[in-house]
Amino acid sequence: MDDENGLEKIPGRGAAKYQIDHWWWLVVAVAGIVLLLSLTQPDPYWRIVKFVSDGVLVTVGVTLVSFLLTLILGLVIALGRISKNGFFRWITTIYVEVARGIPLLVQLLFWYFAFPSLIQSFGRLLSLQILERYHANPYIMAILGLCFCYGAYMSEIYRAGIQSISKGQNEAARSLGMTHGQAMRYIILPQAVKVILPPVGNEFISLLKDSSLVSVVAVADMTRRGREFMAANFIPVETWLMIALLYLIMTLIAARVVAWIEKKTQTEER
Amino acid sequence: MEPTPIIQIQNLHKHFGETAALNGVDLVVHQGEVVVIIGPSGSGKSTLLRCINRLETFQTGSVIVDEIPLTTAENINAIRTEVGMVFQSFNLFPHLTVLENVTLAQKVVRKRTKAEANAIAYELLEKVGIPEKCQGYPGQLSGGQQQRVAIARALAMNPKIMLFDEPTSALDPEMIQEVLDVMLQLAKEGMTMVVVSHEMGFARAAADRAVLMDEGLIIEQAVPDVLFSQPTQERTKRFLSKIL
Repeated sequence: MDDENGLEKIPGRGAAKYQIDHWWWLVVAVAGIVLLLSLTQPDPYWRIVKFVSDGVLVTVGVTLVSFLLTLILGLVIALGRISKNGFFRWITTIYVEVARGIPLLVQLLFWYFAFPSLIQSFGRLLSLQILERYHANPYIMAILGLCFCYGAYMSEIYRAGIQSISKGQNEAARSLGMTHGQAMRYIILPQAVKVILPPVGNEFISLLKDSSLVSVVAVADMTRRGREFMAANFIPVETWLMIALLYLIMTLIAARVVAWIEKKTQTEER
Repeated sequence: MEPTPIIQIQNLHKHFGETAALNGVDLVVHQGEVVVIIGPSGSGKSTLLRCINRLETFQTGSVIVDEIPLTTAENINAIRTEVGMVFQSFNLFPHLTVLENVTLAQKVVRKRTKAEANAIAYELLEKVGIPEKCQGYPGQLSGGQQQRVAIARALAMNPKIMLFDEPTSALDPEMIQEVLDVMLQLAKEGMTMVVVSHEMGFARAAADRAVLMDEGLIIEQAVPDVLFSQPTQERTKRFLSKIL
């Protein structure tokens, strides 16, 4: 009898509503490993965590700022891609092809090392003091590089989302006298948001991971701080294990948040 | 009294790439008139209808609606606010409630306040027989109900002309009548209507004129009873023999 009652308690569809997404346990488990290592062997594990902690903030900051800017840039580019104006379509298509066709690492190196050089030569050519003495801020260049690359991918997600909404929706809006902009704002985009949320969430997670590449352009993110720690202490296994676990915690949390947002938007309405 | 022409279509040509859709259509619709367009699929009847509010562009010819020629973007939007359209697939906005479907364009295009827009919406939803489902979403309604909401949504803009593009073709047989009843009521009130439909009962009861189109041309037009019982063109006879 007890067994039968026990079976009934297996969470079904009704119970799922009140249950925490069980994959959160994975986050807890990984965080637990980090904690356990730090507590049982403070040297070197806790030292590593302390050493890279400012890098964690940089990684999170660079990712969040880039992501927000990418959301805006992607929308602008997507609207250009579906524009009736041939020039906008042409220029945004070229941008997307270029930005997707070059490795992110190469793009970052270009923005940090080549771009300022170009500006300086340009300044010398025009004898403009401000441009001649131009020096790139690594953080700004890193964010610029990430946005330039991810904006192209994001625009394709927006475009697919917008185009997934049936043509009849736009026609109905336009037949009521709405302008193109009003139809986009009130009818198309609110419906497209639901379609694009899952892939946009995945882009965020990719961006978080790819942000480690900014370590090569003098940004003191988690990866760079890890390398610095390694250079001073020569304990690669412990260092990179810790860095890997810290990234894993962040991406697992992000994945849970994305799943939660998805579930929330899918259950609302209808 | 001389009836005023409200839609004047002259020598309209339209092709999609190589395929010709309209081959020089002339049609005048007068104020308060109800015109039913019939014809085989691919005959250009929907395209003609969609040219009236410029959901389709055309290559040559002219369309003048309520003395406004369809030329610039401003003119097109001016005309669209005067011309309501009802689609075969309803095209209600699924992310908005029934009430919001009817009030949104009133607020953003007509610049009415929320209270004004709501009052008009309630009145129209009452008229089409959906007063109690205002807070629901379109997905919760039956097809017939959705189409009636779509009619209310178009009427809320106070159009001078209503275009119906096969409004009952996507409906279960049982729901066709409830939509036709609303359309009959509108016709009785003197609304100018252009209806693409094969509902002969509706054409007989409400239309002033029936138009038969084929291959992008108007073949024949007459009072519905006359067209249906004594067609003069061979093409009309052939078409009617298939649907009557």
